[in-house]
Amino acid sequence: MGYEEADLISRCQMGDQAAMKEIFDQYREKVYRVAYGVVRHREEALDIVQEVFIKLFRTIGNFKGKSSFYTYVYRTAMNTAIDHVRKLKKSTSLSFEDEAEKYLSDSPEKRPDQAAMDKELEDKLKEALAKLPDDQRAAIVFREVEGLSYQEMAKAMGCSMGTVMSRLHYGRKKLQQLLRGYVKEGGKT
Amino acid sequence: MKDSCSSISRLLEKHFDRETTVDEGILVQDHLRQCTPCQAQLKSMEELRTTLRTPVDETVQKETFAWVWQKIEREIQDRAKPSWQESIRAWFGLSFPFRRRVWIPAVAVALLIIAITSPLLFKETPSHTELSIVEYVESHTNNVMVFESEKENVAVIWLFEGPEGESST
Repeated sequence: MGYEEADLISRCQMGDQAAMKEIFDQYREKVYRVAYGVVRHREEALDIVQEVFIKLFRTIGNFKGKSSFYTYVYRTAMNTAIDHVRKLKKSTSLSFEDEAEKYLSDSPEKRPDQAAMDKELEDKLKEALAKLPDDQRAAIVFREVEGLSYQEMAKAMGCSMGTVMSRLHYGRKKLQQLLRGYVKEGGKT
Repeated sequence: MKDSCSSISRLLEKHFDRETTVDEGILVQDHLRQCTPCQAQLKSMEELRTTLRTPVDETVQKETFAWVWQKIEREIQDRAKPSWQESIRAWFGLSFPFRRRVWIPAVAVALLIIAITSPLLFKETPSHTELSIVEYVESHTNNVMVFESEKENVAVIWLFEGPEGESST
């Protein structure tokens, strides 16, 4: 952690709102990508971003700087997104028609048929991701969406690099099977 | 699929994730040149990545996050406002440990004072109905004095026979 970031965190811990805004600007896209990668829904991802930063600022006093701040942010983002999916499974969600309409209105620049195909793929992807165990889903999102290195993933997930590789391998394999017909499978079994 | 595919399998994913060493990278690339199934596997992984990443890249560019920050800021400010208990504490200007040290003996002293003064303050005064009645009757033979206590139903009668004598029942 650099001096500037340490100073920023220290100011946040003292309740400096300008410092909090700086932290938000620095990490908002990263958090959004993780959230969207897990929930595959814009509004839900934005709700998660809000929840993550409120959590971060409430608990920032507990951050002692033993680990990197970005791993702390990524871990909080992933846990919040996975909790959100769990809660959502229990509660009722929007009907398919409502969601489809929302998706099409969110993509005005796309042709309606293309937007509908994308929507179908997104739904399938969301369904497939939901079927993965939490640790494999986290590995897939960290690597494929956010592009973290194995080392960064190991830090954020609190495991070894070997475990990261294993989770990625099985996660990819399962996703390829679940998305058969949408994504080409490899030549291996 | 060639026999060497199984040995290269683990390296193929590392290569795809750009985590191989230079030597490992050369090994994988040599293998890929002559192995169609491994090329297909690599292509499949690329497709999966694109499918997962592209929608995220597209939406993140559209977001301004302005209202998200406004909500977070409001939440932080609401939490920053002190409660009435905190305001009172602040008004006294006492920190928690100091307050604890001072108020415990203070409360103990107050309770002691109340314990001492309450019997004096709430001392029972006799009511008129509980007053004893004393009657004195003078006659030529014996003088009589009667004492009656209403509360305990006790009566004492004194008979005075003369100036020297006295008897009671």
